[in-house]
This record gives sequence, C-alpha cells and structure tokens, in this order.
Amino acid sequence: MPKEEYPLSRGEYNLVKKLADAGVEKGYVEEVSKKHGIEEAQLHSLLLLLQEKGLVKVRREEESIYVTTSKGLQALREGLPEEKLVRLLEKSGGSLVVGKVKEELGPEAGIAIGQARRKGYINIEKGRVILARDPQEILREISELKKALQLASEGGLREAPKELVERGLVTREIIRRTWFEFTTPPREILDNAIVEVARLSHKLLVSGEWRRVRLKKYDVRAEPPEIYPARKHFLGEFIEMLKDIMKELGFVEVRGPIVDIELFNFDILFQAQDHPAREIHDTLRVKEPKRVPLDEYSSLVERVARVHEKGWGYKWNPEIAARVLLRSQTTAVSARVLARRPEPPIRFFTLGRVYRSDVVDSTHLPEFHQLDGIMGWPGYTFRDLIGILREVAGRLGLELRLKPGYFPFTEPSVEGYVRLPNGKWLELFGAGLFRPEVLEAVGVDYPVGAWGFGVERLAAAFYGVNDIRDLYTRDVEKLRRLPVKIF
Amino acid sequence: MPVLKFPEGRLESLTGLSRRELEDVLFRLKCEVDYLDDGYVEVEVNPDRPDMYVGEGIARAVGGLLGRRRGWSLPRIVDSGLVLYNEGPPTRPYIAAAVVYNVNVTEDYIEELVQFQEKLHDTIGRRRRKAAIGLHDLSKLPSGKLYYKLASYEDEMIPLGHPGERTPLKRALEETSQGRKYGSLSATDNGHPALYSGSDIIAIPPVINSEITRVEPGTRDLFIDVTGTDKATVEKVLDIITTTLAEREGAYLGKVKVIRESVEEATPKLSAKTVFLGKDEPSRILGLPLDSFTISDGLSRMLHNVDVSAGGFRVEAPPFRVDILSSIDLVEDIAIAIGYESIGENKPVVDRQGRLQALTLLARKVRDLAIGLGYTETMQLTLTSPRLLDLTGFTSRVEVENPVQQEYSVLRPSLIPSLLSTLSRNLHARKPVKVFEVGNVVVPGTPPPDEVRLGLAIMDEEVGYEDIQASVYSILRLLNVEFSVEPYKHKVFVEGRAARIISRGTLLGVMGEVNPEVLLALGIDYPVAAAELNLEVIAEWRSKTESP
Repeated sequence: MPKEEYPLSRGEYNLVKKLADAGVEKGYVEEVSKKHGIEEAQLHSLLLLLQEKGLVKVRREEESIYVTTSKGLQALREGLPEEKLVRLLEKSGGSLVVGKVKEELGPEAGIAIGQARRKGYINIEKGRVILARDPQEILREISELKKALQLASEGGLREAPKELVERGLVTREIIRRTWFEFTTPPREILDNAIVEVARLSHKLLVSGEWRRVRLKKYDVRAEPPEIYPARKHFLGEFIEMLKDIMKELGFVEVRGPIVDIELFNFDILFQAQDHPAREIHDTLRVKEPKRVPLDEYSSLVERVARVHEKGWGYKWNPEIAARVLLRSQTTAVSARVLARRPEPPIRFFTLGRVYRSDVVDSTHLPEFHQLDGIMGWPGYTFRDLIGILREVAGRLGLELRLKPGYFPFTEPSVEGYVRLPNGKWLELFGAGLFRPEVLEAVGVDYPVGAWGFGVERLAAAFYGVNDIRDLYTRDVEKLRRLPVKIF
Repeated sequence: MPVLKFPEGRLESLTGLSRRELEDVLFRLKCEVDYLDDGYVEVEVNPDRPDMYVGEGIARAVGGLLGRRRGWSLPRIVDSGLVLYNEGPPTRPYIAAAVVYNVNVTEDYIEELVQFQEKLHDTIGRRRRKAAIGLHDLSKLPSGKLYYKLASYEDEMIPLGHPGERTPLKRALEETSQGRKYGSLSATDNGHPALYSGSDIIAIPPVINSEITRVEPGTRDLFIDVTGTDKATVEKVLDIITTTLAEREGAYLGKVKVIRESVEEATPKLSAKTVFLGKDEPSRILGLPLDSFTISDGLSRMLHNVDVSAGGFRVEAPPFRVDILSSIDLVEDIAIAIGYESIGENKPVVDRQGRLQALTLLARKVRDLAIGLGYTETMQLTLTSPRLLDLTGFTSRVEVENPVQQEYSVLRPSLIPSLLSTLSRNLHARKPVKVFEVGNVVVPGTPPPDEVRLGLAIMDEEVGYEDIQASVYSILRLLNVEFSVEPYKHKVFVEGRAARIISRGTLLGVMGEVNPEVLLALGIDYPVAAAELNLEVIAEWRSKTESP
C-alpha cells in the first residue's frame, strides 16, 4: 500500500510543526493562540484549510458563561464589602459603633452591614456592630466566594453561585469558541508531508529546495488580475497607417507651416480675394503678426497677381495675400511644394492639422487633420487621378463612387464618396486637376492632380466613433481598454 | 455649400423623373439629394452653379443631361417701356433691371423665389455686398420712370413687412432686422442708395424693398433690379434670374432701358461667353480618346451651343453659366455629360520609392520608446484655453484673433499643459497614470513656427524628479543624443527640481516635478512629474551625426 502523502502549503506545514513541537493535538483556537503566540485569524484559517484536507476537525462552539463585572473586579482587588467589615471589626477588638463603621467604610458601609448581618456574621446591639462568629472562619467562607469570582474573571464559569449573580458581581455572556482536534496526529502528518508552494522563486531554485516542494495546482480557470498595456493612440495609429499607404504608393512626404499666409492657402489656389471662405468668420487668424512681408516670394507674387487679374477681372491686392492665418487646408502645403517647381514626375503628400471657424459639436472640431496628395507629369490625365483615388480607397478597403464637384483650384473637380462598413456613403475625397491658372501662378508646365481628405471623419467611421470629440478623449482608462483594430 | 429646400414632388413634376432617377441624375450634376421626413427634399448644389438654385434651373440642367434639350437660345424678349436713370451712388454704383412676364407667382412659388434670391445673395452676391436682388410686382410700380440715386436719411418709405406708416430711411435702417444686418454695406454719410419709381422709394438696395411693390400670390409679372459694386457681376446675376424664370410656362422677358451719364444700355444683357476648345484638349486632359461627335454631344447636353471649326470647337456658353472661365471648364462639362463613372481610370504604377519625413520616422521610434517605458499615448488639439496656459505659467503664446469659442482661443506653446489637463481628468484611473503625446506646438514668431515635440507625464501616489528624468535619459541615450542638463526655473515646476536639457548649445527640452500650486489649481491631488523634448532638435542632431 503506497504511503499516504499530505500536501501542505508552507504556512500549513509551519503550523503543524509548531503544534507538534508544543504537543498540542486539540484545543480551543483562542486558547492555543494565546498560549503559543500564534495569530488567531491565521491559526483559524490554516486549521480550516487543514480541515479541507481531512487532517483536522474544526467545530464552532457557542456557550453561555458567567464573567466578572467591573463591580466584581473591584471586589477582587479590594475585598468584598462584608469582608472589609469583618477585618475592621477584628482589628477593633470585635465591636465598633455604627457611626465609626460608616466613617471607615464610606458608602460601602450600608452594603457591608447588610450582607454581614444577613449571613449572620454580625449582630447590632445598642448602636454597636459586634462580630457574631470567629472572624477566621468567616474569612474562609468569604474566600470561597472570592475564588468563584476569581475563576469567572479568568475564563468564565459555566455555573456561578447565585449570590454572585444577584449581587451583580458576575453576569451571563454568550461566547463563541472554535474547537479543533487533529484527526491524524501532527507528527504523522509531518513525517508524510509534501510542502506545496504557490510561486516558484529564485531562492527555491538556488537552494535546491524546489526539489522537496511541490508546485501547487492552480484553478487555471480563475480570473487573473485585470491589467492593460501602455499603447499608441488609435487616431495616431490610423494616421501612421495612412502615411504608410502613401509611401507604398510612391509618394514622398512633405511638410508645411501650420500658421501660413493667404498667398499659399488661397491666392496661389486661384481663390478670389473676395471669396466668402476668406472672410474673417470663416478663417482663423492670429493676433500677432497680422501680415508678413512677401519679399521672398516676389516672382511668385507677380505671377499670382497676373493670373488673378486676368481670371477674376479685379485689382489683386498683395496686402490680402500677406495676411497670416491658421491654414484651412493642407493644399497650402501642396501649393508651397509646387511653387518650388519640382522636376516631374512628382508624387508628394502631406498630412497635418488644419483649422476652421467651427463650433465644436459631435461632427465638428475647430482643428483636424487633412491628408493632401499631389502627382503629375507631362501627359498626366484625369483618368490617372481617378486611378489613384480608387487605389487609395481600395487599400482602405472602401468602395468608391465619383461625383462631379467644385473647388476653386481644380477643374475637372471630383468628390469621392466611400461606402462605410455601416453601408452609408461618406463624402471623403476632394480631388481634381489643378486649374491652368494655378499651374501658371506657380510656374509649373505639366498637369498636376490633387486630392485630399479629412482624417478624423474617416477615422471615426473606422473605429465606430459617433462623436468626433471622442477621438480626442482625455479618458486614459478608455484609451487603455479600447479594443484593438487590425488593419 | 448652398442647400435648397423643395416640397417633395416639385422637382419630380418639373422633370418627370421618379425619386430614384432624380437622385441619380442630380448626383451626376454635382448635387446631393436628401429626402427629409417633413415632406421636403433638400438639394445641395455646388456654389459654381447658381443657375441651379431654383426648380426651373435644376429641371433645365437635368433635361440637358438626359438629352431632352440641347444648347440654348434666347428667350422671347420685348421692350418693357421702363426707363431707369442711374445716378451711380458711389458706394453701390451699378444697377441692371428687367421684367419677367407671366411668372404667375403662387403661394408655394414665393418661397422658392425668395430662396433663389437668398442663395444668390449668399454666394455670387457675396452676402449682398457685391450684388443684391430686388423683386417687385410690375403692376404695382407707381411709375414707369425709375431713378437709382442716393436718398437722404430723412426721405420716407414703407419697408417690406412693415405696412402702415411711411418711415424715414434712418429708422428703416435702424429698426428692421435687414437694416441692422445689411444697413452698413452701402451707407454713406449723407444718404443711402435708393430705387425710386416716380417719386416713391421702392427699394433701398441692398437692404430692403418697399411694401408698395410687394410680390404676393397672384403677382403675374415681376420687375427685377440687381444692384452692386461690380458691373459684370450685377449683369450676370440678372442674366441668371431672368433666363431661369423665363423657363416658366408662358414666361418671357422685358428689357429695361438704363441710362447713366447719358449712356444708354438695355438690360438684361443676356451675354454669352465664347470659348474655343481645342480638338484634342478633352482627350488629352481626361486621358480618354474622344471623337468630335462625343464632344459636341456632351457640350450640347450641357446646354452649350457648339460650332465645329478648324482644329476644335467654338463654344458659346449659355448666359446663365458663371463658371465657364476657360476651355478647362468645358472639359469638365464634357466629363459630366459622359459621366464620371464612365471615364474609367489608369491604375497607378508605382515606379519609384515613396519616402516619409525624417521627423515622421523619428516620431515613430520615440512613440515606441515611450510605450516601452509604460506611457500611454494621448492626443489633444493645439487650440486650447488661455486659462489652462495661465494656470500652468505658459504666458508666451500665439493667440487667435477671431476664436469661435474661448476654450479654443490660443495655440499651445507646449505639450505640458495638455498632458496636465488630461491627468486632471484621470484622478481615479489606475495608478500610475503615465501619458505621452507626440504633437504640434506653435510658438510666437513671424510668422509663428510650429514644432513637433514629445511630452511625458507621470501621476502616482508618489512621484519625483528622478522618475521623469530616468525616462528622459533612457530615450535620449537610446537615440544617441549627447546632452547636458542644468537647473531651470518655470512656474509649472518645483524650484530646484526642474532642469533644462541642452544639446550642443540648443535647448532640447525641459523636465521636472510639477509645482503643487499648479496641480491644485488644476484639481490634481496626486504628484506629477513631466518632461518635454523638441523632436525637431533631435531630428536635426541625428541628420548631422548619422551617416546616410
């Protein structure tokens, strides 16, 4: 027959050993705890664990006992009132006038005389208290009573002398205790114990003790603690994905200033100087500076003036072009790139923040990201432009539908609608071939297609975000817990 | 984008199309149709097609695209007998006028007419400044002799919608809502432009008409004036309205003689623009071989008159089109006529390597490092509240001149206020809360430049300078950046526990323990340490130190 093994945790093992060493096999938890210096709650819980393993029986007990009251404790310390009286009388030669007794015993005198008289210790004659019996005998009798009181004060008494109860020296109390009893002798348990450990440690490995212990079996289905990793922001990830798509399509990333001038944001783009979009309530401006000199752009300015005056039939005003604004479109960056007259073929893109005079609500932000791409070479056509729109939409997994559109700086112009996962069509791309007036202004002599879109609206659709403000949430817990989207 | 509202059924009956067909055709004409629940239809029209701001204009364009009509011809036009003397008020010197007979205004049509008028005002009229339209009941004109001149502010009229007493212009301008809105556009010190019929003021353009010529259900013929600051625009707006209203059953036009400084003109001008389109131009631009027939067919369905001539097409655009500036605009019309979806595409060939900005690549690495160090990425707007910057001690900053909302009225000069604002809303999040942002800041300059920076912040039960310092050192050393550190004083940090980070004499960033005063002002009751690094400086450093 195989030897029985007792798997124990380190704590259980230590407890059994301690009890075995002390020779304890049974007892009340409360008493053992006190006597052997083991923390009661810990002892209790370890015994319950040992009970689960069938090594110990634990029983809760409820008992009614008598315990000493504060009055009783005082009597123990100072003596019972009648005891004091008997000692006083003994010392005074067996009798004393009542007045003297009252003087000596104070407020207790009444009780002392009452009790002593009832028990026949004294007689009262003509105003004197007189011992009625041998004081030593009386004191022995009293000490019996005090012994019971003493016991009640130490651990309680199951039965108490009626007198102690009646005099309020003891009182009844319900106490709960835990009785335990080893069903297998502690020594035998220790001899056959296998210690289980919860966590393997460096110490166990180094000491070689790991060989003598057993790794406890876990409930592998139990929930672990909840943790979340530090992570990238989903809108940031979306932006990087867009940049990667552009790079894969052979586009070179460019960058332009956020605070720009109207020359690049509007004038080069053939937006008439009295166009409503250029008015103060549509474009955000900065307090300082209001304008910057256009000196470094002199030849560009000359061409822009010529193009505007011919196309719109007004006197073009360089003061308006020099106004500083928060760019309203990343096409301003494309305009800057074209103004450097790059050698064809060209494929450039930029992705950055643009600003609008919009009140914040669930579909508007005063600031959002725009992606703007331009491409061109001699012989570049509208079909090439449609091709890139379809390619980008395709790489985003979106179906594309084309609608003629209007932008001041492109002709033909096209708007690209994409079908979202929810089946709705979203107006995404704005695109077109730059107007000849734009190309003339920048001095580029090959056709250039331009297209762009707002990033946030698409990101919101991708992530199923209904309120665009949630893209800029400040709730870190929400960011930590956002499900991963793979694209 | 102008959005027009029509009762459901109106456009269907004008075009004879079903709802589905109408949506489809209008989409091809740059319009988006939205059927509302209240029995109305919203049509979004592009701002380059003001001729489509009314039912008749939409029906005309639809008819063309469907090939039911081709090209254009002048409507029947007679002499109205009206004479308009223009004294050319200096603030608004131009006026053109016309009569449209047999418009037959009904209850419903009044709304549509006013909508037409208002959309023209808002777009081509530049909110009435450049051009404004007055509509009058012809039969109510007190006299066939009209005068356009400055009226004194004491002169009287009965403003439209305020029947009863005659009102001095001064009061009409001050007390009507139109007066408050548009009263300053053309006012002069000694008077306001006014249109008289005989001795009665029938309008004070561009503000308000007079009650006496009110257009109402039952009005048969319209007298229309257009005033403005640009002659070509004024005439073009009149062309658009008259040719479009002439589309109504039985309607025709009447000329008005306009006399200015004894020069006589008749309006409407109904002027057509002639543009020459090269034979190969459409094919070359669209990338689609097109024959002459397809091109003329497309143009005529877009209602242009086309003459095939040597080497190309002589195209006469209709008087109601304002968007035909040059041949490129005709190419778009041809593309629309063919249908964008039928043009096809050239699949892009990727024959060259794309490239990302060095800063983009650096930012990606930095984000990976920050995440590796346990920071979660956050993103905030660059527009922020001045209060946040005041509380955190960032007083040097770029302010927006015309903010829409106070909370978005300054550009952040640092990422630290954004991060602190984020932390202030995460006091109950699991600690430590470690956040970062790689984002733009804008600093004062001429013009103010923007920079990409990395901001880091930690909030915990206990957190100190060395916690943030360790992160900063780790990132900088892994990026191979040489740097030194010196004590730094700033309101946002605790003195003696903040540093500037310098790299080759350039300020690279700052780091420190956030001042408890600042924390409590923001409602943060946990300690915070924060840092900010300028990625532009690091990118610059690496471009100099790394071999390509």
